[in-house]
Amino acid sequence: MEEEDPAANKINRLTLAYCVISGLDILHALDRVDKESVINWVLSLQAHPKNEGTLENGQFYGFHGSRSSQFQSNDSGASTPNGSHLASTYCALAILKSVGYDLSRIDAELLLKSMKNLQQPNGCFMPIHTGGETDLRFVFCAAAICSMFKNWSGMDWEKAKEYIISCQSYDGGFGLIPGSESHGGATYCAVASLKLMGFIDEDALSKNARCHCINVPLLLEWGLQKQAVDGGSQGRSNKPTDTCYAFWIEGVLRILRADKFINKKALRESLLTCQSKYCGFSKFPRLLPDIYHSYYGFCAFSLLKEPALNSLSVELGLTDVAAIGLQSFGL
Amino acid sequence: MNQKVEFEVEEEEEERSRIPISERPEWADVRPLPQDDGPNPVVPIAYSDEFSETMDFFRAVYLADERSARALELTQEAIFLNSGNYTVWQFRRLILEALSVDLREELEFIDQIAKNNTKNYQIWHHRRWVAEKLGSNVASNELQFTGEIFSQDAKNYHAWSHRQWVLQTLGGWDDELAYCDELLQNDIFNNSAWNQRYFVVTKSPRLGGLEVTRDSEVAYAIKAILTKPENESPWRYLRGLYKNDVNSIANDPRVASVCVDVLTNEKECAHALNMVLDLLCNHYQPSIELKNAIDALSDNSDLELAKKVCSVLQLVDPMRANYWEWRKTTVPARD
Repeated sequence: MEEEDPAANKINRLTLAYCVISGLDILHALDRVDKESVINWVLSLQAHPKNEGTLENGQFYGFHGSRSSQFQSNDSGASTPNGSHLASTYCALAILKSVGYDLSRIDAELLLKSMKNLQQPNGCFMPIHTGGETDLRFVFCAAAICSMFKNWSGMDWEKAKEYIISCQSYDGGFGLIPGSESHGGATYCAVASLKLMGFIDEDALSKNARCHCINVPLLLEWGLQKQAVDGGSQGRSNKPTDTCYAFWIEGVLRILRADKFINKKALRESLLTCQSKYCGFSKFPRLLPDIYHSYYGFCAFSLLKEPALNSLSVELGLTDVAAIGLQSFGL
Repeated sequence: MNQKVEFEVEEEEEERSRIPISERPEWADVRPLPQDDGPNPVVPIAYSDEFSETMDFFRAVYLADERSARALELTQEAIFLNSGNYTVWQFRRLILEALSVDLREELEFIDQIAKNNTKNYQIWHHRRWVAEKLGSNVASNELQFTGEIFSQDAKNYHAWSHRQWVLQTLGGWDDELAYCDELLQNDIFNNSAWNQRYFVVTKSPRLGGLEVTRDSEVAYAIKAILTKPENESPWRYLRGLYKNDVNSIANDPRVASVCVDVLTNEKECAHALNMVLDLLCNHYQPSIELKNAIDALSDNSDLELAKKVCSVLQLVDPMRANYWEWRKTTVPARD
């Protein structure tokens, strides 16, 4: 998000909205949000088949990222172009959960059944049914979507697990695709997905832990080594630290119950150097803040148990309150 | 000063020279379709007039499924304004196929927009689509293209993914190991280049696989370690060559030997100590030289060797002091 024309990000409007809403949730500030308006806007981005009950072959019925990929059906009766996107769907559902919307009001069967169309023979997921890059980000989105609906019919999780395993690099971290360099964001997607699917035990570090599918000790060392001399987190070995990796890496270690090994004081101090005088966080010190790094800065502070911040469900990317669904709406 | 003023004048002239689509005769028959933002949109974006108009016309041709030359031109304008729109890229691909456009021209188009957008997923995906259709003839072109990206940013993640895809799908392995070496000569800390090296020695059909290349690669890694022992990359690479099987690592005397060398000369090398710890926890029998090197770093002569290493690590790698304390508790009991 380096100083780009905001219009250039408009395909990611839902992503921006997710960072804003979930960020406010972490800050205990959702009372400032017109929840009903948010819900209506998010639901208006949902894709629906032309005829209820008939799934057009191969399409995914999730959520669009913005109006630019969403088209009104034309009068000719031809099928509505459907550009709904897996990552946008994850963001949409995360927003809805954060503002207390009851997900059982959504036709999960339709969404999940059509989501399977996005899974590849090797277990990975593509983001839209017309094709796109396939990598671990979309495996995570799919796993999180299934988890939020508590319904795993949307993916073949054995195949997904095999794909994730194939992304573990020789150094213990995970790349976005098999063979790629291990990377903080990719590693979060891998480990969070495995956790959501139930393949990582509560006490992942004990000798008897049932997560033999991946090399946990090696992953642990890789993750811990990402805390650099300035106290912040790198995304890859020998690269500069960056605010968002504090969440991705810390999140991985939290899932492994290894966050006790992080030097929390040093991490906190490093993050504070990226806090802007305008509030929010930037990627590096002395840059202007942006929504993305601010959100992940708040997430990192939540994991550091900063007082006055809501706790996180790390593997879902939501507050615990949102994940469990403790808020009430419309009562 | 004059140059700056000239540049600004040029930009203004460019903006004035853009004719709105609604005023172009070739578009006179098309009714643009506005975006319906719906009520109370969240995070509303302030679009420029140029952007709104272009997308309004795009919407029209897209819904009409018009796969024409003017539609192709329009997708180019839309891409220049926002290169992240999946729908536009996907429709462009449909038009390219329908019109049987020479895809080598398309590669040139991508070259143009990729220069300022080296981290855009959609551009790289489109490039892969084009390259796949053109086949192995473009392998060296693609390797050269990614090489140019690396000359500006030697760790560009997208470019590395593309390069790996090119090698596996279109070929061109012959000079890859040498290329990795070149990058590492420039920057021995470049972890992307180390990762690529691992990719080549394990996947290249030319080299015979890891069993064949391991010996020379161990020597390569050790040389890099001795140059900069604080560099994490070659240490991980070295373990990777043995697929992190500590028994196999222990059976190669060069590994313990490099640890002794480093600890004797550099003393405070956490990576070396970490390697020694893993060996000792795997019941490796240390040489006298290794024991002496550890003893020289530690005040506490009562502790058994592995625990002694943990104590030293707490001092030389304080960032991970809690972890090394925990490792002390997991040292297996002595036989």
